[in-house]
Amino acid sequence: MNPLLRLDSVYKSYGDEEVLRGVSLDMEVGDVEVVVGPSGSGKSTLLRCVNRLTEIDDGDIYLDGDRVTAPDTDVNELRRDVGMVFQDFNLFAHKTALGNVTLGLRRVRGMGKVEAREKAMEHLDQVGLGDQADSYPAELSGGQKQRVGIARALAMDPKLILFDEPTSALDPELIGEVTEVMRDLASGGMTMLVVTHEMTFAREAASTMTFLDQGEIVERGPPEQLFDRSERKRTREFLSRITARHGDAQP
Amino acid sequence: MLQALADASFGAVVLQSGDWGFVFENADYLLEGTLTTVLLTVASVLLGFLVGFPAGVVEVYGGRVLRAIVGTAGVVLRGTPILVIFFFGYFVFRFGGAFETAIVGLGLRSAAYQSQIFRGSIQSVSEGQMEGARSVGMSKLEAIRWVVVPQALRRSIPGFQNEMTIVLKDTSIAYAIGVAELLTLSRELFIQETTAVMEVFLFASAIYFVLTFTTNRGLDYLGQYYGIPTEESV
Ligand SMILES: Nc1ncnc2c1ncn2[C@@H]1O[C@H](COP(=O)(O)OP(=O)(O)OP(=O)(O)O)[C@@H](O)[C@H]1O
Ligand SMILES: [Mg+2]
Repeated sequence: MNPLLRLDSVYKSYGDEEVLRGVSLDMEVGDVEVVVGPSGSGKSTLLRCVNRLTEIDDGDIYLDGDRVTAPDTDVNELRRDVGMVFQDFNLFAHKTALGNVTLGLRRVRGMGKVEAREKAMEHLDQVGLGDQADSYPAELSGGQKQRVGIARALAMDPKLILFDEPTSALDPELIGEVTEVMRDLASGGMTMLVVTHEMTFAREAASTMTFLDQGEIVERGPPEQLFDRSERKRTREFLSRITARHGDAQP
Repeated sequence: MLQALADASFGAVVLQSGDWGFVFENADYLLEGTLTTVLLTVASVLLGFLVGFPAGVVEVYGGRVLRAIVGTAGVVLRGTPILVIFFFGYFVFRFGGAFETAIVGLGLRSAAYQSQIFRGSIQSVSEGQMEGARSVGMSKLEAIRWVVVPQALRRSIPGFQNEMTIVLKDTSIAYAIGVAELLTLSRELFIQETTAVMEVFLFASAIYFVLTFTTNRGLDYLGQYYGIPTEESV
Protein backbone atom coordinates (compact mmCIF):
# COMPACT_ATOMS: atom_id res chain seq x y z
CA MET A 1 0.00 0.00 0.00
CA ASN A 2 1.12 3.56 -0.67
CA PRO A 3 2.21 5.70 2.23
CA LEU A 4 -0.09 8.68 2.77
CA LEU A 5 2.77 11.09 2.22
CA ARG A 6 6.08 10.37 0.57
CA LEU A 7 8.90 12.83 0.14
CA ASP A 8 11.51 11.48 -2.21
CA SER A 9 14.85 13.34 -2.13
CA VAL A 10 13.38 16.81 -2.16
CA TYR A 11 15.70 19.67 -3.03
CA LYS A 12 14.99 23.36 -2.67
CA SER A 13 17.25 26.37 -2.97
CA TYR A 14 16.69 30.08 -2.64
CA GLY A 15 19.32 31.61 -4.85
CA ASP A 16 22.62 30.11 -3.78
CA GLU A 17 21.25 28.92 -0.47
CA GLU A 18 20.36 25.23 -0.42
CA VAL A 19 17.47 25.04 2.01
CA LEU A 20 16.43 21.41 1.52
CA ARG A 21 19.08 18.95 0.48
CA GLY A 22 17.58 15.64 -0.43
CA VAL A 23 14.89 15.16 2.17
CA SER A 24 13.05 11.84 2.06
CA LEU A 25 10.40 10.56 4.40
CA ASP A 26 7.25 8.45 4.42
CA MET A 27 4.18 8.90 6.60
CA GLU A 28 1.36 6.42 7.04
CA VAL A 29 -2.25 7.28 7.74
CA GLY A 30 -2.62 8.31 11.37
CA ASP A 31 1.06 9.11 11.83
CA VAL A 32 2.05 12.15 13.81
CA GLU A 33 5.43 13.30 12.59
CA VAL A 34 7.16 15.98 14.61
CA VAL A 35 9.94 17.90 12.89
CA VAL A 36 12.47 19.77 14.97
CA GLY A 37 15.55 21.70 14.02
CA PRO A 38 17.35 24.96 14.48
CA SER A 39 16.10 28.20 13.01
CA GLY A 40 16.74 28.35 9.29
CA SER A 41 17.13 24.58 8.95
CA GLY A 42 14.31 24.42 6.42
CA LYS A 43 11.37 23.19 8.52
CA SER A 44 8.84 25.71 7.23
CA THR A 45 10.08 25.24 3.70
CA LEU A 46 9.59 21.50 4.05
CA LEU A 47 5.95 21.92 5.08
CA ARG A 48 5.24 24.52 2.43
CA CYS A 49 6.53 22.21 -0.27
CA VAL A 50 3.97 19.60 0.68
CA ASN A 51 1.00 21.86 -0.16
CA ARG A 52 2.99 23.67 -2.81
CA LEU A 53 2.96 27.08 -1.26
CA THR A 54 6.61 26.67 -2.22
CA GLU A 55 7.75 24.85 -5.35
CA ILE A 56 10.59 22.35 -5.07
CA ASP A 57 13.54 22.23 -7.43
CA ASP A 58 14.07 18.50 -7.55
CA GLY A 59 12.67 15.27 -6.17
CA ASP A 60 9.07 14.16 -5.79
CA ILE A 61 6.25 14.42 -3.30
CA TYR A 62 3.35 11.98 -3.33
CA LEU A 63 0.09 12.23 -1.44
CA ASP A 64 -1.85 9.01 -1.27
CA GLY A 65 0.03 7.75 -4.32
CA ASP A 66 -0.58 10.86 -6.44
CA ARG A 67 2.45 12.87 -7.43
CA VAL A 68 1.64 16.32 -6.10
CA THR A 69 4.74 17.81 -7.68
CA ALA A 70 3.54 16.84 -11.16
CA PRO A 71 3.09 19.93 -13.37
CA ASP A 72 -0.56 19.14 -14.04
CA THR A 73 -1.55 18.78 -10.38
CA ASP A 74 -4.40 21.12 -9.45
CA VAL A 75 -2.87 22.89 -6.44
CA ASN A 76 -6.24 24.07 -5.20
CA GLU A 77 -7.51 20.51 -5.10
CA LEU A 78 -4.31 19.43 -3.38
CA ARG A 79 -4.75 22.07 -0.69
CA ARG A 80 -8.24 20.85 0.08
CA ASP A 81 -6.60 17.58 1.04
CA VAL A 82 -3.72 19.12 2.96
CA GLY A 83 -4.72 21.53 5.71
CA MET A 84 -2.31 24.04 7.14
CA VAL A 85 -2.04 25.74 10.50
CA PHE A 86 0.27 28.74 10.64
CA GLN A 87 2.40 30.20 13.37
CA ASP A 88 0.71 33.60 12.90
CA PHE A 89 -2.74 32.02 12.48
CA ASN A 90 -3.53 33.85 9.23
CA LEU A 91 -7.19 33.95 10.16
CA PHE A 92 -9.41 36.00 7.87
CA ALA A 93 -9.56 39.28 9.78
CA HIS A 94 -12.94 40.31 8.37
CA LYS A 95 -14.70 37.11 9.32
CA THR A 96 -15.96 35.81 12.65
CA ALA A 97 -14.63 32.53 13.97
CA LEU A 98 -17.59 30.88 12.29
CA GLY A 99 -17.01 32.79 9.06
CA ASN A 100 -13.38 31.72 9.04
CA VAL A 101 -14.45 28.11 9.03
CA THR A 102 -17.39 28.44 6.63
CA LEU A 103 -15.59 30.49 3.98
CA GLY A 104 -13.65 27.54 2.58
CA LEU A 105 -16.68 25.29 2.83
CA ARG A 106 -18.80 27.76 0.92
CA ARG A 107 -16.36 29.02 -1.69
CA VAL A 108 -14.15 26.00 -2.19
CA ARG A 109 -16.44 23.10 -1.47
CA GLY A 110 -19.53 24.88 -2.70
CA MET A 111 -21.64 24.03 0.33
CA GLY A 112 -24.89 25.81 1.05
CA LYS A 113 -25.10 28.29 3.88
CA VAL A 114 -26.95 26.09 6.33
CA GLU A 115 -24.89 23.01 5.70
CA ALA A 116 -21.62 24.93 5.94
CA ARG A 117 -22.73 26.53 9.16
CA GLU A 118 -23.62 23.22 10.73
CA LYS A 119 -20.34 21.65 9.76
CA ALA A 120 -18.36 24.66 10.90
CA MET A 121 -20.09 24.60 14.29
CA GLU A 122 -19.15 20.94 14.69
CA HIS A 123 -15.52 21.78 14.19
CA LEU A 124 -15.63 24.83 16.42
CA ASP A 125 -17.13 22.61 19.11
CA GLN A 126 -14.40 20.09 18.45
CA VAL A 127 -11.76 22.70 19.33
CA GLY A 128 -13.85 23.97 22.25
CA LEU A 129 -14.91 27.27 20.70
CA GLY A 130 -18.58 26.76 19.99
CA ASP A 131 -19.36 29.69 22.26
CA GLN A 132 -17.00 32.05 20.39
CA ALA A 133 -18.50 31.50 16.94
CA ASP A 134 -19.46 35.14 16.53
CA SER A 135 -16.19 36.66 17.72
CA TYR A 136 -13.78 38.25 15.31
CA PRO A 137 -10.13 37.17 15.35
CA ALA A 138 -9.12 40.45 16.99
CA GLU A 139 -11.44 39.66 19.88
CA LEU A 140 -9.90 36.25 20.56
CA SER A 141 -6.84 35.28 22.56
CA GLY A 142 -3.89 33.77 20.73
CA GLY A 143 -4.82 30.28 21.87
CA GLN A 144 -8.38 30.74 20.69
CA LYS A 145 -7.20 32.12 17.36
CA GLN A 146 -5.03 29.10 16.79
CA ARG A 147 -7.89 26.78 17.63
CA VAL A 148 -10.01 28.56 15.04
CA GLY A 149 -7.12 28.01 12.63
CA ILE A 150 -7.23 24.32 13.42
CA ALA A 151 -11.01 24.22 12.99
CA ARG A 152 -10.66 25.95 9.63
CA ALA A 153 -8.20 23.33 8.47
CA LEU A 154 -10.26 20.45 9.86
CA ALA A 155 -13.43 21.60 8.15
CA MET A 156 -12.03 20.81 4.73
CA ASP A 157 -11.75 17.14 5.83
CA PRO A 158 -8.08 16.98 4.91
CA LYS A 159 -6.07 13.79 4.63
CA LEU A 160 -3.16 15.49 6.31
CA ILE A 161 -2.66 18.65 8.35
CA LEU A 162 0.58 20.62 8.40
CA PHE A 163 1.34 22.58 11.56
CA ASP A 164 4.10 25.20 11.35
CA GLU A 165 5.07 26.12 14.90
CA PRO A 166 1.44 26.45 15.95
CA THR A 167 2.27 27.55 19.49
CA SER A 168 5.33 29.73 18.90
CA ALA A 169 3.40 32.98 18.81
CA LEU A 170 1.48 32.22 21.99
CA ASP A 171 1.93 33.34 25.54
CA PRO A 172 3.18 30.34 27.53
CA GLU A 173 -0.06 29.95 29.46
CA LEU A 174 -2.03 29.59 26.22
CA ILE A 175 0.09 26.87 24.68
CA GLY A 176 -1.59 24.04 26.56
CA GLU A 177 -5.06 24.62 25.11
CA VAL A 178 -3.66 24.30 21.61
CA THR A 179 -1.48 21.25 22.18
CA GLU A 180 -4.41 19.64 23.91
CA VAL A 181 -6.55 20.04 20.80
CA MET A 182 -3.69 18.67 18.73
CA ARG A 183 -3.40 15.65 20.99
CA ASP A 184 -7.09 15.00 20.59
CA LEU A 185 -6.68 15.09 16.84
CA ALA A 186 -3.71 12.74 17.05
CA SER A 187 -5.60 10.22 19.11
CA GLY A 188 -8.54 10.60 16.76
CA GLY A 189 -6.34 9.27 13.99
CA MET A 190 -5.58 12.48 12.09
CA THR A 191 -2.36 12.39 10.10
CA MET A 192 -0.24 15.35 11.17
CA LEU A 193 3.10 16.79 10.14
CA VAL A 194 4.09 19.14 12.92
CA VAL A 195 6.97 21.57 13.31
CA THR A 196 7.16 22.51 16.97
CA HIS A 197 9.42 23.26 19.88
CA GLU A 198 6.95 21.75 22.32
CA MET A 199 8.99 18.78 23.42
CA THR A 200 6.35 17.46 25.75
CA PHE A 201 3.95 17.24 22.85
CA ALA A 202 6.67 15.61 20.72
CA ARG A 203 7.48 13.00 23.30
CA GLU A 204 3.91 12.10 24.08
CA ALA A 205 2.08 12.51 20.78
CA ALA A 206 4.60 11.91 18.02
CA SER A 207 4.78 8.56 16.33
CA THR A 208 7.96 9.62 14.61
CA MET A 209 10.34 12.45 15.18
CA THR A 210 12.67 14.01 12.66
CA PHE A 211 15.65 16.20 13.41
CA LEU A 212 16.37 18.47 10.47
CA ASP A 213 19.56 20.48 10.29
CA GLN A 214 20.85 22.54 7.39
CA GLY A 215 18.31 21.06 5.04
CA GLU A 216 19.12 17.46 5.83
CA ILE A 217 17.53 14.85 8.03
CA VAL A 218 20.12 14.12 10.67
CA GLU A 219 18.07 11.56 12.51
CA ARG A 220 14.59 10.12 12.33
CA GLY A 221 12.89 7.63 14.60
CA PRO A 222 10.51 7.17 17.53
CA PRO A 223 10.70 10.10 19.95
CA GLU A 224 12.24 7.96 22.72
CA GLN A 225 15.10 7.16 20.40
CA LEU A 226 15.92 10.81 19.74
CA PHE A 227 15.34 11.94 23.30
CA ASP A 228 16.87 9.09 25.26
CA ARG A 229 19.21 7.04 23.16
CA SER A 230 20.35 9.13 20.29
CA GLU A 231 23.77 8.23 19.02
CA ARG A 232 24.14 11.49 17.18
CA LYS A 233 25.88 14.29 18.96
CA ARG A 234 24.05 16.97 16.96
CA THR A 235 20.68 15.54 17.93
CA ARG A 236 21.56 15.30 21.60
CA GLU A 237 22.94 18.80 21.74
CA PHE A 238 19.99 20.32 19.93
CA LEU A 239 17.40 18.47 21.99
CA SER A 240 19.01 19.28 25.31
CA ARG A 241 19.17 22.92 24.35
CA ILE A 242 15.57 23.04 23.18
CA THR A 243 14.31 21.10 26.19
CA ALA A 244 16.06 23.51 28.51
CA ARG A 245 14.28 26.36 26.80
CA HIS A 246 10.84 25.01 25.94
CA GLY A 247 10.94 21.77 27.93
CA ASP A 248 8.15 21.15 30.32
CA ALA A 249 6.05 24.07 29.23
CA GLN A 250 3.02 22.07 30.16
CA PRO A 251 2.19 18.75 31.76
CA MET B 1 -15.40 88.17 -17.97
CA LEU B 2 -12.72 89.09 -15.45
CA GLN B 3 -13.95 92.64 -15.69
CA ALA B 4 -17.45 91.50 -14.92
CA LEU B 5 -16.22 89.62 -11.86
CA ALA B 6 -14.26 92.60 -10.62
CA ASP B 7 -17.23 94.93 -11.09
CA ALA B 8 -19.48 92.48 -9.41
CA SER B 9 -17.34 92.07 -6.32
CA PHE B 10 -16.86 95.82 -6.09
CA GLY B 11 -20.59 96.26 -5.89
CA ALA B 12 -21.04 93.67 -3.20
CA VAL B 13 -18.95 94.86 -0.33
CA VAL B 14 -22.00 95.18 1.88
CA LEU B 15 -24.36 92.32 2.48
CA GLN B 16 -27.80 93.69 1.83
CA SER B 17 -31.05 92.09 2.83
CA GLY B 18 -32.41 92.82 -0.60
CA ASP B 19 -29.67 90.76 -2.10
CA TRP B 20 -30.53 87.81 0.12
CA GLY B 21 -34.07 88.21 -1.12
CA PHE B 22 -32.75 87.98 -4.65
CA VAL B 23 -30.86 84.79 -3.80
CA PHE B 24 -33.89 83.15 -2.23
CA GLU B 25 -36.15 84.15 -5.10
CA ASN B 26 -33.76 82.34 -7.37
CA ALA B 27 -33.12 79.41 -5.05
CA ASP B 28 -34.89 77.04 -7.46
CA TYR B 29 -32.44 78.01 -10.09
CA LEU B 30 -29.48 77.30 -7.81
CA LEU B 31 -31.00 74.03 -6.66
CA GLU B 32 -31.24 72.98 -10.27
CA GLY B 33 -27.51 73.62 -10.52
CA THR B 34 -27.03 71.69 -7.32
CA LEU B 35 -28.85 68.72 -8.81
CA THR B 36 -26.55 68.82 -11.82
CA THR B 37 -23.54 69.00 -9.52
CA VAL B 38 -24.76 66.00 -7.55
CA LEU B 39 -25.46 63.99 -10.69
CA LEU B 40 -22.09 64.89 -12.09
CA THR B 41 -20.35 63.88 -8.86
CA VAL B 42 -22.19 60.60 -8.45
CA ALA B 43 -21.72 59.58 -12.06
CA SER B 44 -18.04 60.54 -12.08
CA VAL B 45 -17.22 58.84 -8.81
CA LEU B 46 -19.10 55.75 -9.95
CA LEU B 47 -17.25 55.65 -13.25
CA GLY B 48 -14.05 56.28 -11.30
CA PHE B 49 -14.82 53.30 -9.08
CA LEU B 50 -15.77 50.97 -11.92
CA VAL B 51 -12.52 51.73 -13.71
CA GLY B 52 -10.27 52.58 -10.76
CA PHE B 53 -11.00 49.54 -8.61
CA PRO B 54 -10.02 46.95 -11.23
CA ALA B 55 -7.08 49.17 -12.12
CA GLY B 56 -5.93 49.05 -8.50
CA VAL B 57 -6.27 45.26 -8.45
CA VAL B 58 -4.27 45.03 -11.68
CA GLU B 59 -1.56 47.27 -10.27
CA VAL B 60 -1.06 44.78 -7.44
CA TYR B 61 -1.77 41.41 -9.02
CA GLY B 62 -1.57 42.02 -12.76
CA GLY B 63 1.12 40.78 -15.10
CA ARG B 64 3.99 43.02 -16.07
CA VAL B 65 2.53 44.32 -19.32
CA LEU B 66 -0.92 45.00 -17.91
CA ARG B 67 0.61 46.72 -14.91
CA ALA B 68 2.70 48.94 -17.14
CA ILE B 69 -0.28 49.95 -19.26
CA VAL B 70 -2.51 50.72 -16.31
CA GLY B 71 0.31 52.45 -14.46
CA THR B 72 1.12 54.70 -17.40
CA ALA B 73 -2.50 55.64 -18.03
CA GLY B 74 -2.74 56.56 -14.36
CA VAL B 75 0.35 58.73 -14.41
CA VAL B 76 -0.86 60.59 -17.49
CA LEU B 77 -4.34 61.18 -16.08
CA ARG B 78 -3.06 62.30 -12.71
CA GLY B 79 -0.55 64.58 -14.35
CA THR B 80 -2.99 66.43 -16.55
CA PRO B 81 -5.00 69.41 -15.29
CA ILE B 82 -8.69 68.60 -15.26
CA LEU B 83 -9.39 71.60 -17.49
CA VAL B 84 -7.06 70.23 -20.14
CA ILE B 85 -8.81 66.86 -19.91
CA PHE B 86 -12.16 68.61 -20.41
CA PHE B 87 -10.88 70.55 -23.41
CA PHE B 88 -9.44 67.44 -24.99
CA GLY B 89 -12.73 65.65 -24.54
CA TYR B 90 -14.89 68.53 -25.65
CA PHE B 91 -12.94 70.03 -28.52
CA VAL B 92 -10.74 67.17 -29.71
CA PHE B 93 -12.46 63.84 -29.12
CA ARG B 94 -15.99 65.26 -29.24
CA PHE B 95 -17.71 62.05 -28.13
CA GLY B 96 -20.65 63.78 -26.47
CA GLY B 97 -22.12 66.93 -25.03
CA ALA B 98 -20.65 68.99 -22.21
CA PHE B 99 -22.32 66.95 -19.46
CA GLU B 100 -21.08 63.62 -20.82
CA THR B 101 -17.63 65.04 -21.37
CA ALA B 102 -17.50 66.28 -17.81
CA ILE B 103 -18.53 62.86 -16.45
CA VAL B 104 -15.97 61.01 -18.52
CA GLY B 105 -13.22 63.51 -17.77
CA LEU B 106 -13.84 63.65 -14.03
CA GLY B 107 -14.56 59.91 -13.96
CA LEU B 108 -11.34 58.85 -15.64
CA ARG B 109 -9.25 61.20 -13.62
CA SER B 110 -10.93 59.97 -10.46
CA ALA B 111 -10.26 56.39 -11.63
CA ALA B 112 -6.57 57.24 -11.77
CA TYR B 113 -6.66 58.46 -8.17
CA GLN B 114 -8.99 55.75 -6.92
CA SER B 115 -6.68 53.08 -8.36
CA GLN B 116 -4.00 54.41 -6.02
CA ILE B 117 -6.33 54.31 -3.05
CA PHE B 118 -7.24 50.69 -3.77
CA ARG B 119 -3.70 49.68 -4.64
CA GLY B 120 -2.55 51.00 -1.29
CA SER B 121 -5.29 49.34 0.68
CA ILE B 122 -4.84 46.01 -1.11
CA GLN B 123 -1.13 46.12 -0.36
CA SER B 124 -1.88 46.87 3.26
CA VAL B 125 -3.69 43.54 3.65
CA SER B 126 -1.02 41.20 4.96
CA GLU B 127 0.43 38.46 2.79
CA GLY B 128 -0.74 35.97 5.41
CA GLN B 129 -4.37 36.61 4.47
CA MET B 130 -3.63 35.40 0.97
CA GLU B 131 -1.79 32.37 2.32
CA GLY B 132 -4.60 31.52 4.68
CA ALA B 133 -7.02 31.58 1.77
CA ARG B 134 -4.76 29.61 -0.55
CA SER B 135 -4.20 27.03 2.19
CA VAL B 136 -7.86 26.03 2.22
CA GLY B 137 -7.79 25.60 -1.54
CA MET B 138 -8.96 28.94 -2.88
CA SER B 139 -7.54 29.98 -6.21
CA LYS B 140 -5.68 33.25 -6.32
CA LEU B 141 -8.74 34.95 -7.80
CA GLU B 142 -11.04 33.50 -5.17
CA ALA B 143 -8.65 34.60 -2.46
CA ILE B 144 -8.61 38.11 -3.88
CA ARG B 145 -12.37 38.16 -4.22
CA TRP B 146 -13.34 36.70 -0.85
CA VAL B 147 -10.50 37.62 1.46
CA VAL B 148 -8.32 40.47 0.21
CA VAL B 149 -10.88 42.72 -1.46
CA PRO B 150 -13.41 42.79 1.39
CA GLN B 151 -10.68 43.93 3.75
CA ALA B 152 -9.14 46.34 1.27
CA LEU B 153 -12.50 47.99 0.55
CA ARG B 154 -13.04 48.72 4.21
CA ARG B 155 -9.61 50.28 4.45
CA SER B 156 -10.31 52.39 1.37
CA ILE B 157 -13.16 54.34 2.93
CA PRO B 158 -11.11 57.26 4.31
CA GLY B 159 -9.27 57.70 1.02
CA PHE B 160 -12.49 57.35 -0.88
CA GLN B 161 -14.10 60.03 1.28
CA ASN B 162 -11.33 62.37 0.34
CA GLU B 163 -11.60 61.54 -3.33
CA MET B 164 -15.34 62.09 -3.35
CA THR B 165 -14.92 65.54 -1.84
CA ILE B 166 -12.33 66.45 -4.43
CA VAL B 167 -14.53 65.30 -7.32
CA LEU B 168 -17.49 67.17 -5.89
CA LYS B 169 -15.55 70.39 -5.77
CA ASP B 170 -13.94 69.85 -9.16
CA THR B 171 -17.34 69.50 -10.85
CA SER B 172 -17.31 73.31 -10.66
CA ILE B 173 -14.57 73.35 -13.28
CA ALA B 174 -17.08 71.90 -15.74
CA TYR B 175 -18.41 75.43 -16.01
CA ALA B 176 -15.55 76.01 -18.46
CA ILE B 177 -17.24 73.81 -21.04
CA GLY B 178 -20.67 75.16 -20.20
CA VAL B 179 -22.19 72.52 -17.94
CA ALA B 180 -25.03 74.11 -16.02
CA GLU B 181 -23.76 73.03 -12.62
CA LEU B 182 -24.03 74.99 -9.40
CA LEU B 183 -21.18 77.40 -9.97
CA THR B 184 -22.13 78.16 -13.58
CA LEU B 185 -25.66 79.06 -12.55
CA SER B 186 -24.41 81.07 -9.58
CA ARG B 187 -22.34 83.12 -11.94
CA GLU B 188 -25.24 83.74 -14.24
CA LEU B 189 -27.24 84.94 -11.27
CA PHE B 190 -24.81 87.52 -9.98
CA ILE B 191 -24.23 88.82 -13.45
CA GLN B 192 -27.91 89.75 -13.43
CA GLU B 193 -27.72 91.35 -10.01
CA THR B 194 -24.19 92.45 -9.41
CA THR B 195 -24.75 93.67 -5.87
CA ALA B 196 -25.64 90.11 -4.82
CA VAL B 197 -22.33 88.49 -5.73
CA MET B 198 -21.30 87.86 -2.13
CA GLU B 199 -24.67 86.44 -1.18
CA VAL B 200 -24.75 84.13 -4.18
CA PHE B 201 -21.28 82.86 -3.44
CA LEU B 202 -22.07 82.30 0.22
CA PHE B 203 -25.19 80.43 -0.71
CA ALA B 204 -23.33 78.25 -3.22
CA SER B 205 -20.55 77.59 -0.73
CA ALA B 206 -23.10 76.56 1.85
CA ILE B 207 -24.52 74.08 -0.62
CA TYR B 208 -21.06 72.65 -1.36
CA PHE B 209 -20.48 72.38 2.34
CA VAL B 210 -23.74 70.56 2.98
CA LEU B 211 -23.00 68.15 0.14
CA THR B 212 -19.47 67.44 1.36
CA PHE B 213 -20.58 67.06 4.93
CA THR B 214 -23.41 64.65 4.20
CA THR B 215 -21.26 62.54 1.88
CA ASN B 216 -18.56 62.25 4.49
CA ARG B 217 -21.04 61.38 7.19
CA GLY B 218 -22.67 58.82 4.92
CA LEU B 219 -19.34 57.14 4.29
CA ASP B 220 -18.48 57.30 8.00
CA TYR B 221 -21.66 55.43 8.64
CA LEU B 222 -20.83 52.87 5.95
CA GLY B 223 -17.43 52.42 7.56
CA GLN B 224 -18.99 51.79 10.95
CA TYR B 225 -21.66 49.51 9.56
CA TYR B 226 -19.16 47.27 7.82
CA GLY B 227 -16.47 47.85 10.43
CA ILE B 228 -14.70 44.91 11.96
CA PRO B 229 -12.86 44.81 15.25
CA THR B 230 -9.13 45.19 14.63
CA GLU B 231 -6.20 44.38 16.89
CA GLU B 232 -5.92 48.11 17.60
CA SER B 233 -9.57 48.67 18.43
CA VAL B 234 -9.93 45.83 20.93
N1 LIG C 1 10.82 33.01 0.32
C1 LIG C 1 12.13 32.90 0.62
N2 LIG C 1 13.06 33.56 -0.09
C2 LIG C 1 14.38 33.46 0.20
N3 LIG C 1 14.86 32.74 1.21
C3 LIG C 1 13.99 32.06 1.97
C4 LIG C 1 12.58 32.11 1.73
N4 LIG C 1 11.96 31.33 2.64
C5 LIG C 1 12.93 30.84 3.41
N5 LIG C 1 14.15 31.26 3.03
C6 LIG C 1 15.43 30.90 3.65
O1 LIG C 1 15.51 29.51 3.72
C7 LIG C 1 16.09 29.10 4.95
C8 LIG C 1 15.17 28.12 5.63
O2 LIG C 1 13.99 28.81 6.02
P1 LIG C 1 12.79 28.13 6.76
O3 LIG C 1 11.77 29.17 6.99
O4 LIG C 1 12.36 26.90 6.06
O5 LIG C 1 13.51 27.73 8.13
P2 LIG C 1 12.85 27.22 9.46
O6 LIG C 1 13.55 25.95 9.81
O7 LIG C 1 11.38 27.16 9.34
O8 LIG C 1 13.28 28.33 10.48
P3 LIG C 1 12.49 28.95 11.73
O9 LIG C 1 12.68 28.00 12.87
O10 LIG C 1 13.19 30.23 11.99
O11 LIG C 1 11.06 29.13 11.35
C9 LIG C 1 16.34 30.35 5.74
O12 LIG C 1 17.71 30.65 5.65
C10 LIG C 1 15.52 31.40 5.06
O13 LIG C 1 16.19 32.64 5.10
MG1 LIG D 1 9.78 28.26 10.18
